[in-house]
Amino acid sequence: MRELQEDPAPGSSSAPRRRGRAIVVTSGKGGVGKTTTTANLGTALALTGAAVALIDADVGLRNLDIVLGLEARVRNHVLDVLEGRVTLDDALVTDKRVPTLRLLAAAQTREKDDVDTEAMRALVDSLRDRFDYVLIDCPAGIEKGFTNAIGGADEAIIVCTPEVAAVRDADRVVGLLGNRTSIKLIVNRLRPDLVRRGKMLSVDDVNAILRLPLLGVIADEPGVIISTNKGEPLVLDDASATGAAYRAIAGRIAGTDTSTPEIPLPPTLFQKLGSFFGGRR
Amino acid sequence: MSARRIVLTSGKGGVGKTTATANLGAALAKRGKRVILVDADIGLRNLDLVLGLEKRIVFDLVEVVEGRCQLRQALIKDKRFQSLAILPAAQTRDKTAVSETQFAEVVAGLDELCDYVLIDCPAGIEHGFRNAVAGAAEAIVVTTPEVSAIRDADRVIGKLNERGLPIRLIVNRIRPDMVRTGDMMSVDDVVDILGVKLLGMIPDDEEVIDTTNRGEPIVLVPDSHLGEIFEKIARRLEGENVAFTTLTAPGFFGRLFGQRKAG
Amino acid sequence: MSTIRGRGRSLEIGIDRALAAATVEIRGQLEERPAFFRGSRAVANFGLVETDAAGLVAFRDVLADFGITLDAVSGVESLAPLLAQLDLAYLGAAPGGEVAAIPRPRARRSLALSNGVRPLVADFAGARADLAARRTEREAAALERRTAVATPVASAGVTIPATPNSAPAGVSTLYHRGTLRGGQTLHNLGNIIVIGDVNPGAELIASGDVVVFGSLRGVAHAGAQGDPSARVVALELAPTQLRIATMIAAADGDAGESGPAHAYILGDRIAIVPHAAADLGRREVIV
Repeated sequence: MRELQEDPAPGSSSAPRRRGRAIVVTSGKGGVGKTTTTANLGTALALTGAAVALIDADVGLRNLDIVLGLEARVRNHVLDVLEGRVTLDDALVTDKRVPTLRLLAAAQTREKDDVDTEAMRALVDSLRDRFDYVLIDCPAGIEKGFTNAIGGADEAIIVCTPEVAAVRDADRVVGLLGNRTSIKLIVNRLRPDLVRRGKMLSVDDVNAILRLPLLGVIADEPGVIISTNKGEPLVLDDASATGAAYRAIAGRIAGTDTSTPEIPLPPTLFQKLGSFFGGRR
Repeated sequence: MSARRIVLTSGKGGVGKTTATANLGAALAKRGKRVILVDADIGLRNLDLVLGLEKRIVFDLVEVVEGRCQLRQALIKDKRFQSLAILPAAQTRDKTAVSETQFAEVVAGLDELCDYVLIDCPAGIEHGFRNAVAGAAEAIVVTTPEVSAIRDADRVIGKLNERGLPIRLIVNRIRPDMVRTGDMMSVDDVVDILGVKLLGMIPDDEEVIDTTNRGEPIVLVPDSHLGEIFEKIARRLEGENVAFTTLTAPGFFGRLFGQRKAG
Repeated sequence: MSTIRGRGRSLEIGIDRALAAATVEIRGQLEERPAFFRGSRAVANFGLVETDAAGLVAFRDVLADFGITLDAVSGVESLAPLLAQLDLAYLGAAPGGEVAAIPRPRARRSLALSNGVRPLVADFAGARADLAARRTEREAAALERRTAVATPVASAGVTIPATPNSAPAGVSTLYHRGTLRGGQTLHNLGNIIVIGDVNPGAELIASGDVVVFGSLRGVAHAGAQGDPSARVVALELAPTQLRIATMIAAADGDAGESGPAHAYILGDRIAIVPHAAADLGRREVIV
């Protein structure tokens, strides 16, 4: 069902706008937080009023819709558009909480081999004419799914956890990305207490290998699992530290936030007691 | 007698396949079984890292397939165990370097050399996944109690069913405290949804990060809770009927509440 | 006149005539005080004198008769393979007729540090076949590539072809400015110079030397076609694995030289020596 709007809907072809930015969120290693990051950054950017399109490029293993809480609203997906069965407008899912955000879901029962790289690139291109930001959620690995996802993107965000395997995989991906307008880093799931005890890599350790400009550092927080399970991006929760971190990163991407990323500190004794007795930080 | 060939897969990345492959293999080797671990993640190899064997790699699976070395030359023995070796993946190639048939042939070549072949599958369900599965006669699906992971595991189980592989389940990174507060699915929920027989349940443990970074298998860490759990999983794999141990949540009230049995 | 000199705790033997004659001379000198040098270790400088395996063996045996163990020889390059066969170290060419300097104590200390660097002499049959195949490929492709421009990054790993110039065929230096990421490779018939880091998972394979003006954390193989005099040099030498000719070494634990260092074969192992103490040897430079 189509919603009637008075102003041209974000992403509609009648709304004139400057050419948008296409950013792929990738990592190499699975499970480091690409989808969570795409969802939260997209939401944060949209909350500032920008028109944002999110594309789930993980054909066959789609998850972006779940993390956004939009799975019930998905009717069509990327392949439906690429294969000409529906228009792009019909396939884009709206988010009632965030009016300027749209999602293009992945196909669940198809394979990544079914996607034509050139067609994907053309799709991203056309979305850039309608949206300020096109964020592409890249699948894990460096196979065809990865190649499809990076095809139309000028910019890349590497998500990496402070673990040796993740850093190695991220490094491989940076090599494969080759020349892009920008490749930047988000270090995710940092445990400052473990870093201090020497049981985890520090942000410096990670960037000693990756050598990328740092967009932000996000501390590990149990609230993230809860939010992804429930489909409520943390940027919508004013009390969430993770949400705040993502909003700051969104600001840096938009150029409105010129602060340098903070590296989270180990919790103080009182904070620790707080979580011991239950209740979220 | 020919070796058991088991692939560890998940769909979702980052749920602990590689750590599980390494530690299950190590636990089996500790019990005197001859074990060879195969890394099917060409281009993003990590199995060698997790076992601390990276520096000893001279030849890899792709070179075996391309006939540039003998299979035995590529195997790296882990000196900490009686009979544990790995066949590393190539780092500078990609998964299209090897076809399903070729992969299956390499694994078949290991038959005489060991009792167990454990294949570490890459994330996803693309070419790398198909290769890994082509070499196997059994599967272990690894998942975490999270909606995304379960959804992906479900997809993978569907694909494994198509190939008729017997499947068992490991649920990893369980946080009993979150299960208790209802913020995380219980293992029973997961087993119900996926409909696959449970092989093991592993709690979330921050020790894993450090030991994998250092290349030390958890089963070698003395008094390690996680190490014991992997040893139990190994025994179950061998056919023993081992009870699941209780996972207790940290905190005063852990034992007062009925805990889901785990192990 | 052949000379025997003590320096520090070792002997230096200088040879200035055909080895057979010199051996007789040395024997004569030693017979004057047969027990005096028993238990000593020695290095010899052959200057410009050439010899064959038999001559070397005879020379060494004469010393052994008097309890002197020959460790190393300096002299012309043709000696190197002969010395290798006899498990003797080759110290490079010596200027004029002077006796070669014994590696300074500092270098030996660094050898002790590099005891963590163990040689793992692998079964290289497969590797040699691979190298031979690569060389044949390269020679065939070289004709086509004379005017080729370096190709852009391909999808799975970078292989940047050698562009041999009109200098003696097959010897060139590949110069790469930029960091090599995991999974990327540089192969060259000749030397390789990288200005930038070489990350873990990246691979450099050269028939000549490998020089990294940055941190070498990946795998480097110098002398990949069997030249044991090749070396690896880096601002920070912290490789996953080092290979020189047919020797492979992996560092134990995290011990590594910090600061610029060279890795080369010394005796039966790959030694890692800080730049200040390194014997530079001699290598032709072809630009």
